[in-house]
Amino acid sequence: MSDDYDAIVIGAGNAGLSSAATLQRGGRRTLLLERHNIPGGAATSFVRGRFEFEVSLHQLGGMGNGPLRQVLDQLDVTRRLKFVEERDLYRTVVPGVLDITLPAEWQGVADAIEDSFPGNRARVESFLELCHEVGNWQLAVRASLHQPQEQAAWLRGLPRVRRNGLRPAKEVLDEYFDDDRIKHVLASYWSYNGQPPSTLPFMDLARILTLYLEYKPYHLHGGSQAMSSAMLDSFLEAGGDVRFNSNVAEIRTRQGTVVGVRLDNGDEYDARMVVSNASAVTTYTRMLDPTVVPDSVLRDLRSRRLGISGTITYLGLDATARELGFTAGTNMITSELAENTVRDSMFSLGPTPYVVASCYDVNPIGFAPPRASHVAIFSVQYGRVWDTLAPEDYARAKYAYAQSQLDLVEVISPGLRDVIEEAEVATPHTLRRYLGHPGGAIYGFDQDITDSWLFRDADLKPNVPGLFLLSAWTTAGGYNPTIVTAARFSQRLLQL
Amino acid sequence: MPAHPLARFFDHVDDVTAEIARREAGGVAHPAAVDDEIAVCHPKQLDLVVDEVITETATTKTFRLRRATGELLPPFQAGQYISLRLQIDGVRTSRAFSVSSSPTERRHYDLTVRRVPGGCVSNHLLDTITPGDRLVSSGPIGTFHHNPLFHGEDLVFLAGGSGVAPAMSMIREVVNRGLPRTLHLVYGSRRADDIIFRAELDQIARGNPEIIVDHVISEPDADWSGPTGFLSAAVVERLAGPLRGRMTYVCGPPAMYAYQLRQLDRMGHPRRRVRLEANGIALPAGEDRDWPAEVDPTAEVTVAVRGRGAFRTPRNRPLLDALEDNGFQPEAPCRSGECSMCRVRVVRGSVFTAAEARLRMSDRDFGFTHSCAAYPVTDVEVDF
Ligand SMILES: Cc1cc2nc3c(=O)[nH]c(=O)nc-3n(C[C@H](O)[C@H](O)[C@H](O)COP(=O)(O)OP(=O)(O)OC[C@H]3O[C@@H](n4cnc5c(N)ncnc54)[C@H](O)[C@@H]3O)c2cc1C
Ligand SMILES: Cc1cc2nc3c(=O)[nH]c(=O)nc-3n(C[C@H](O)[C@H](O)[C@H](O)COP(=O)(O)OP(=O)(O)OC[C@H]3O[C@@H](n4cnc5c(N)ncnc54)[C@H](O)[C@@H]3O)c2cc1C
Ligand code: FES
Repeated sequence: MSDDYDAIVIGAGNAGLSSAATLQRGGRRTLLLERHNIPGGAATSFVRGRFEFEVSLHQLGGMGNGPLRQVLDQLDVTRRLKFVEERDLYRTVVPGVLDITLPAEWQGVADAIEDSFPGNRARVESFLELCHEVGNWQLAVRASLHQPQEQAAWLRGLPRVRRNGLRPAKEVLDEYFDDDRIKHVLASYWSYNGQPPSTLPFMDLARILTLYLEYKPYHLHGGSQAMSSAMLDSFLEAGGDVRFNSNVAEIRTRQGTVVGVRLDNGDEYDARMVVSNASAVTTYTRMLDPTVVPDSVLRDLRSRRLGISGTITYLGLDATARELGFTAGTNMITSELAENTVRDSMFSLGPTPYVVASCYDVNPIGFAPPRASHVAIFSVQYGRVWDTLAPEDYARAKYAYAQSQLDLVEVISPGLRDVIEEAEVATPHTLRRYLGHPGGAIYGFDQDITDSWLFRDADLKPNVPGLFLLSAWTTAGGYNPTIVTAARFSQRLLQL
Repeated sequence: MPAHPLARFFDHVDDVTAEIARREAGGVAHPAAVDDEIAVCHPKQLDLVVDEVITETATTKTFRLRRATGELLPPFQAGQYISLRLQIDGVRTSRAFSVSSSPTERRHYDLTVRRVPGGCVSNHLLDTITPGDRLVSSGPIGTFHHNPLFHGEDLVFLAGGSGVAPAMSMIREVVNRGLPRTLHLVYGSRRADDIIFRAELDQIARGNPEIIVDHVISEPDADWSGPTGFLSAAVVERLAGPLRGRMTYVCGPPAMYAYQLRQLDRMGHPRRRVRLEANGIALPAGEDRDWPAEVDPTAEVTVAVRGRGAFRTPRNRPLLDALEDNGFQPEAPCRSGECSMCRVRVVRGSVFTAAEARLRMSDRDFGFTHSCAAYPVTDVEVDF
C-alpha cells in the first residue's frame, strides 16, 4: 500500500488541517492521516439527544480583519462558514464580591470598569494602551519572523514591550492597580493560556486581550466542527487525500532523514516531508527511531512541563438562555479572589473554585433546539490528578467534580439543574483519549514564560531532516495560533 | 535550546534562560505511553472466553464472558453495552449487546441474547456458541446509564423483551452497592414463559423494597392473572403511579419506541425525563415515510469505496451492511445511527439517511453520513 506523496500530515487537528490545506493548495501532493473518523482534534462536536455540543471553542480570536481571517481567506475557507460575532468579551463573577460584564471594545472595557469601580478610568486606559501595544507587537512579529533585521529595529523602538513582555501579568497589574477586584476582572482570560496571573506571561495576556478586543470574539454556526470540515473540504477540493481511522505508529527514516510513515496496521506511505500535528512528546519519543533524535531535542523536552488539560461538563438545557439567566456568552465564575485557591484546584479533584461557563445560545450557533440551550462548563486541571484514581472510582469522581461545577454556575443561573436534558462530563482522560496527547494537554506544554517562542526557537526547526512539528506543542495553544502558525509555516515549506 | 535573537532585547531575559537551564538539568522524561494509558478503561479490543452459557427462556441465553488474559474487565456504567465483532459465513460484522451483569462484578460480563427470527448474529450466538469459545468485542460504551447529575434517585424503567438486559444490570447495581435509589421496572413480554430473569427479578423485588417489578404480558394464556397488553399510558400509570418527573428509561425492540414515546407524551411526561437506548433502525428503508416514493428500494446500485474498489448492492441494504458484505469494515459499535463511529463521506451520488442517524449539523453541509443508518439511492462513491 505504498503511495508517493510530497508531504504527509499526521493528525487533522487545527494545525494539521491548516498545514495540509496550505500544502495541497500550494501544489504539493499531500496525504492527511487522522486516528479518528472525523477531522478537528479538539475542534469538534458531538451529539446527544436533541443537542449538539461544542467540544472546545469558547471564543474564536483573530477574525474580524485579524490574522485568522486572513488565513481562512487564503485557504478559501471563509465562504464555507457562517460566523457569529459576540457583543461581549466576558462576564466575570465572584459571588458577593463582583459581577461585571465587559463589552468587546477597548473603550467599552474602560467604561464598564469605571461604572463598577469608579475612579480608575485613567489607570484602566493606560493599562489597556500597554496591552494594545504589547499584544499587537506579538501578533505582528509572528507574521514576519524571517526578517530579523527589521524585527530588531522595530523592537528597539518599543521600550514598553521590552520592559513588560516577559513579566508575569500579576506584576504588571499590581503596578497599575490597587483594587484586587479590577486585577481579577482584567486577568480573567488567564484560563485561555492556562497559567494563573502570577505565572501568566504579560505578553500572552496582552495578546489574548488584543485578539478579542481588536478583532472581536466570534462563534461559528455549526461549531468548530464546521470549520474543521470546511478546512478539510478546501483540502479535498484541491485534490488532497485523507485517511481517517489511520493511527500513525512510526515516522520512517533512512540515514536520519524522513522517508515516510507506518500506520499501526502496518500500512506504509512514502514522502520526504512529514508534518506532525501529534504531540511533540509522542512524535519525538514514540514515533521515531531514537538514534535519529538529537540529544538537544530530548533535553529540551525534559525541560518542559506537560500543560493543562481540563474537566468540562456539557449541558443540554430545556430552557432559553434568558430564562436561565445567561446574559453573556462567556462567564468566568470564581468562588473567591485568592489566586492560590484556583492554582491548588488545578491539582485537585476536590470541589472546583473556578469555572468558565459558555452559553452558546446568547448568540445562537444552532446546536440547541428552539427554546433550549447548550452550555459548557470548563475548569482548568492538570491531567495527572486524574491518574491517581483506580479505574472503578473514575465515574464517581467525575460526577462529583461536575456537581461542584454546577454549584458555581447556579450562582448566575439558579435552577439550572432542574432543566438538564443532557449532560456529559469530559475529564483530562477523555481529552487524552480523543487527542492522543500525554496528560490530555490541550495547549501543549505549560505556557509559562519559559515556553515562549522567544526561548524555543528550535520548535519549528526540522530537528530531524524532513520532519516538521505544527501544533499547540510548538506554538501557543488555541485556534488562532495553531491555524495561523501552521498556515504561515507551511507557506514557507512550499518555498523549499 | 537556542533563544530567538529577539529575546535578548527584553528585560529579565537572563532570569528566563537561567530557569530553562535549571529545568533542563532537573527534568524528567514525560509519560508517552498514551495508548497504554487509554487502554485501561477503553481498550481497543477485548479478547473474551465464554465461561458459561445459561439458558434463560426458550429463545434467550446468557453468555458469561471473561477476559482471555485473566485480567479484570474494564469498569462500566450499568446500562452500557459492548459490541461483539464476529465473522459469520465469511462476513465480518458486529452487534451491540447490553451487559446484563452488575458493574460491581468485573471478572465477567453477562450478555443476554434473544433470538431474532431471521437475524444473523443472534441465531449464530444461540446456536453455535458454547463454553470455551473465544469472542472479540469493543470495550463498554453507550450513554444509556444513570447520570447522577440530573437523573435523580427515583427511576422508572420500561422494558420490552431483551430490553430488560440493561435494567437487570442497573437493578443488580442498586442491590449490590446498597444505593439509595428506587427503580420501578415495568417489563413487557409476549408470554409468561418469555419473561427473562423472572425468578431473580421477583426474588430481588421481594427482598428489596426499593426495587419494584411488574410484568405485563401481551399474549397471555389462561393462567396469567397479572397485567396484560402493551405498556400503554394507562398500564404504566396504574402500575408505576404518576411519573411526576421521574427519569424514565425505555429499552426494547426498535419498533417499541415510537409507541412508547406517544404513551409518555400522553401522560404529560416531559421528553427530557426520558432516556431511550438506541436499538437499531426501526423501519426498513422502503417502508420509511420519507423514502422517495419513485425509487424502488429493492433495485441494485453501485457503491464505490474511494480508491479501494466497488460492488453492487440493493438500495434497501444499509450501507454499513453492504460494505461488510464486501469485505470493508468501518468500526460500528451501535449500528443504530447514534455513536457516529461508522461515519463516511459521500463523495458522489446521494444516500437516504434514516431519522435515527444523529448527524452533526456540519455533516449535512459537508456530505457526511452514518453508514449504519444510510442507504444508497443512486450509484455512490464513499470514503472513510
Ligand atoms: C475544552 C477546551 C476548550 C478550549 N477553548 C478554546 C478557546 O476558547 N479558544 C481557543 O482558541 N482555543 C481553545 N482551546 C484550545 C484549542 O482547541 C487547541 O489548542 C487546538 O485546537 C489544538 O490544535 P492542534 O492543531 O494542536 O491539534 P489537536 O486538536 O490537539 O489535534 C491533534 C490531532 O492529531 C491526531 N493525532 C494524534 N496522534 C496521531 C497519530 N499517531 N496518528 C494520526 N493522528 C494523530 C489527533 O487525533 C488529533 O486529531 C480549547 C481546548 C479545549 C479542549
Ligand atoms: C445498544 C444496544 C444494546 C443491545 N442490547 C441487546 C441485548 O442485551 N440483548 C439482545 O438480545 N439484543 C440486544 N441488542 C440488539 C442486538 O444488537 C441485535 O440487534 C439483535 O441481536 C439482532 O441481531 P441479529 O444479527 O440476530 O439480527 P440482524 O441480522 O441484525 O437482523 C435484524 C432483523 O432485521 C431483519 N433483516 C436483516 N437483514 C435484512 C435485510 N437486508 N432486509 C430486511 N430485513 C433484514 C432480520 O430478518 C431480523 O428480523 C442491542 C442493540 C443495541 C444497539
Ligand atoms: S455504528 Fe454507531 S452510528 Fe453507525
